[in-house]
Amino acid sequence: MLESLANESAAVSIRDVSKKFGTTTVLDDINFDVAQDEIVVLLGASGSGKTTILRIISGLEMPGTGRVMLHGKDVTNLPARLRGTGVIFQSYALFPKMNVEQNIAYGLKLRRRSKSEIRKTIDRLVGMVHLEDHRKKYPSQLSGGQQQRVAIARALAYEPEVLLFDEPFGALDAQIRASLRREIRKLLKEIKVPSIFITHDQEEALELGDRIAVLNSGRIEQIATPYEVYTNPATEYVATFLGSANIIEGVIRGRTFQSEEISLEIPSDYDFRDGQPAKLVIRPEDIFLRRPENLMQNYQQLTEGVVEETSFVGAFERVGVRLPTHDGQRLIATRPKTETAAFQLYAGQRVTVGVVRFRILPDLTRLPLHANRAV
Amino acid sequence: MSANLSGVRHTRGFDIVKPLSITVMIAVMLPLVLLPLASIFIFGTANGLESFWHALTAPEAIFALKLSIVTSFWATVFNVVFGLFAAYVLSKYNFWGRNALIVTISLPTAIPTAVAGFALLLLWGPYGTLSRVLGEENVPEIMFTAWAIILANIFVTFPLAFGVIKPVFDTMNTSLEEASATMGATRLQTFWHVTLPSLRGALLGGALLTFARAVGEFGSTILVSGNLASRTQTAPLYIFAKFNEGQVEAANAIAIVLALLSFAIFSILFFARDYLETD
Repeated sequence: MLESLANESAAVSIRDVSKKFGTTTVLDDINFDVAQDEIVVLLGASGSGKTTILRIISGLEMPGTGRVMLHGKDVTNLPARLRGTGVIFQSYALFPKMNVEQNIAYGLKLRRRSKSEIRKTIDRLVGMVHLEDHRKKYPSQLSGGQQQRVAIARALAYEPEVLLFDEPFGALDAQIRASLRREIRKLLKEIKVPSIFITHDQEEALELGDRIAVLNSGRIEQIATPYEVYTNPATEYVATFLGSANIIEGVIRGRTFQSEEISLEIPSDYDFRDGQPAKLVIRPEDIFLRRPENLMQNYQQLTEGVVEETSFVGAFERVGVRLPTHDGQRLIATRPKTETAAFQLYAGQRVTVGVVRFRILPDLTRLPLHANRAV
Repeated sequence: MSANLSGVRHTRGFDIVKPLSITVMIAVMLPLVLLPLASIFIFGTANGLESFWHALTAPEAIFALKLSIVTSFWATVFNVVFGLFAAYVLSKYNFWGRNALIVTISLPTAIPTAVAGFALLLLWGPYGTLSRVLGEENVPEIMFTAWAIILANIFVTFPLAFGVIKPVFDTMNTSLEEASATMGATRLQTFWHVTLPSLRGALLGGALLTFARAVGEFGSTILVSGNLASRTQTAPLYIFAKFNEGQVEAANAIAIVLALLSFAIFSILFFARDYLETD
């Protein structure tokens, strides 16, 4: 987030964009690029500013400061109609009095393309989104998934600079949502159109994005590949918003993280000051539970605890472990079925807690100890 | 469908409630609506179609019908065009006093038509407000002319057209217009291709309601028109005048035409709107 020069090869470049509505800061110094064949997902809770970013790129909203570049061209001062972006609205916004073909043709007619070219484009796109049997139907006669495919075909028709998806799956039920996003990702990868999705659904973000930008109160907390964001969250917010995480507060002492009787060796790629407050972040699936007498192999032993409850949640078992130290803080661990079968747990059982993977973040707030959250 | 609507049935087999309730309903409607309407046709044609035709083609009668249709037509044109504009402005832009303006525009629906006519007279009439402010010689003499009839029609019917068009604007999805803009359309193109098609039903409805109401307008017209035969006498005024003169057959002939006109308009409203609103 340091470079202020436009990346010439990027399809979309957002530079130093800030925006206020009245006295409320909606966006604070947003910077990112989208490559030509890349899908970037803006992930954030409602009110994080993700929709505003989309509206600023499409020209429906003006940024307070900063620039928007599409394929190297500064479009900050261009009105929406001259930018050539393709927006897929949450409500699809299909024109109700136009049938599927007319909706797709609209952008081309505005550009005064020839009849034969429009016909060819319609034929190609209708085939691409599998709506051959629905060409003459009106939006109200189509299912949600079909309407969305029309919206995509309609935007693709005029070869947009970038496709912008505003919570595109919000109105669909869970099963269709999953299959449709796979289908759309496959399509976008085939036709290589740069795309930006906004969503508050972490599963959707992980599956769709080549990169994910996690937004919090108008700032990008981290932008990286799904794997990187999940395994190496840059902030506590990212760790808890994308997936769930156990957080333990402590202090750096030399090359170790210390928190009451917990002492973990810090991997060499961390650079911390001695005595710096820090937080230990552990994903539930990275916690391993063993009988106290069993030796921990391959894991770093963390502490000991007492099983408080176990619950079966489909693909895995979730275990709540209370620590005798840390004001009785509760850790959440998840175990695959193979492990539940090999080693059964019950409430009240004493266990040793080990970790395979963890992350240590500097604690800039130094708040009093609090319970782990959002598991 | 109708089986579901009838709700819980407590009897098996023949249900006496159904024929009974239908009979009661028709029995009440008969003297209230159906019989009076039927009487117009029965009386009007009692002396044979020839005398009906004669009454209908009397010059005064034809003039009255024409005047009603022409004045109603122009009121309709105004209501549709300006009603569309007013509804657009009032739902698109928020400004100080907007709600007060909406209420004021809609107010004439609740005002007795005689009061409406009286109000127009007090503004435009020879001793009216405009004359006092601008001087009598500077105010066009529109009272007791066809212009006055059009003004009265607009005054009375504008809320009808506005009331039909405005809700469609209010509920219109703004992302439709935004989508159109991102696809490359100017404001005018968006209005023409996206906004207007969604309003077709409302515009037709507003037009028909205006026309139907204006053609039958009596209370305000009788005050502002002067009710001069073959000059400012509209069809409803003609019916009233002929009835007062004891020429029931002449009044009846025009009454039949107005009733049929209403039927026709109502049928279009009923059937064409369904068609127009199909998405």
